[in-house]
Amino acid sequence: MTTTEPRSRSREATDQVTAFFDAYRRHEVDAMTDLCADNADFFYVPFEVWGKQRVLRGDGKVKTVGKTIWVGLIASFPDLFTDVHSVEANDTGDVVVTCDIGGSQQLAWGAAEPRGQKFSEPHLFIFHVDGDGLIDRISAYWDGAGINRQLGHLEVD
Amino acid sequence: MKLFTRKDQAEDQAGAAAEVTPARTVSAFLTAFGKRDVEAALSVVDDAVRVDIHPTGLREGGSADLRAFLIETATAFPDLLVTVKNLIETGSVVTAELKVEGTQAAGYLGAINQEKHLDVDQAWRFTVSGDRVTAVDAYWCQNQLYRRLAVKRLDQISLV
Repeated sequence: MTTTEPRSRSREATDQVTAFFDAYRRHEVDAMTDLCADNADFFYVPFEVWGKQRVLRGDGKVKTVGKTIWVGLIASFPDLFTDVHSVEANDTGDVVVTCDIGGSQQLAWGAAEPRGQKFSEPHLFIFHVDGDGLIDRISAYWDGAGINRQLGHLEVD
Repeated sequence: MKLFTRKDQAEDQAGAAAEVTPARTVSAFLTAFGKRDVEAALSVVDDAVRVDIHPTGLREGGSADLRAFLIETATAFPDLLVTVKNLIETGSVVTAELKVEGTQAAGYLGAINQEKHLDVDQAWRFTVSGDRVTAVDAYWCQNQLYRRLAVKRLDQISLV
């Protein structure tokens, strides 16, 4: 009789997040969101757009706010790349990823007008994968000033 | 009356050693940082620590760089408050999501003091070996930090 060892929770979570970044690398936003639970939480912590009346933040749900940001980002940086450096997971479904994200600007991104400049910036992602194997939380951190400097946008908005 | 036998002491020491986890080491660092006790924070950091503080441009720095950053932060914000929101242990790596708050009382990372309130969400990723932190990677948005400190331009950080 052949028995198959059940995949550990950390292995399963790592595979799910790896698939997420594979889809991100292919610019397949629908595939990225399909790897997430319907109600998955989304926190792009540095993402702030300051208007006269209110501040838009990168907080909400993956399938609304997250999807909108990713589609816009890929439109503004058509050669957007994601280089993953490390993936660490535990048996409660947490996955921590370090990577560089970058690309060449073709359209406006936030307040940064397109000047044809490139950026590459270190990012830290924190995922949680639920018991069904779906991503139910994404948080990300990076230095927006680092990106803006590279794009030639020097105003602190 | 003897309170402890040698066996008790040996078991006690073994128990204390077993309680050292990467998360506890990192908690000790962050607790000391929040108290602005730089020496206590550095007491759990290896002398050969590798430090990347991405928003400041520090790459592959060392213990002296970490000390300088902690001292600058503790000096600039006498009412420093470090709130750990999430601490994730993944083997020897511990990642902390935290909020740093305080009222500026001295120059900080090039920004002159305008007595502004700072609150910036950050993520720090620590690598721990034994009971020592051997690597630190810190992430936050310097744009958010400068915005809160009333800096107007990235190429004129010290101008008001």
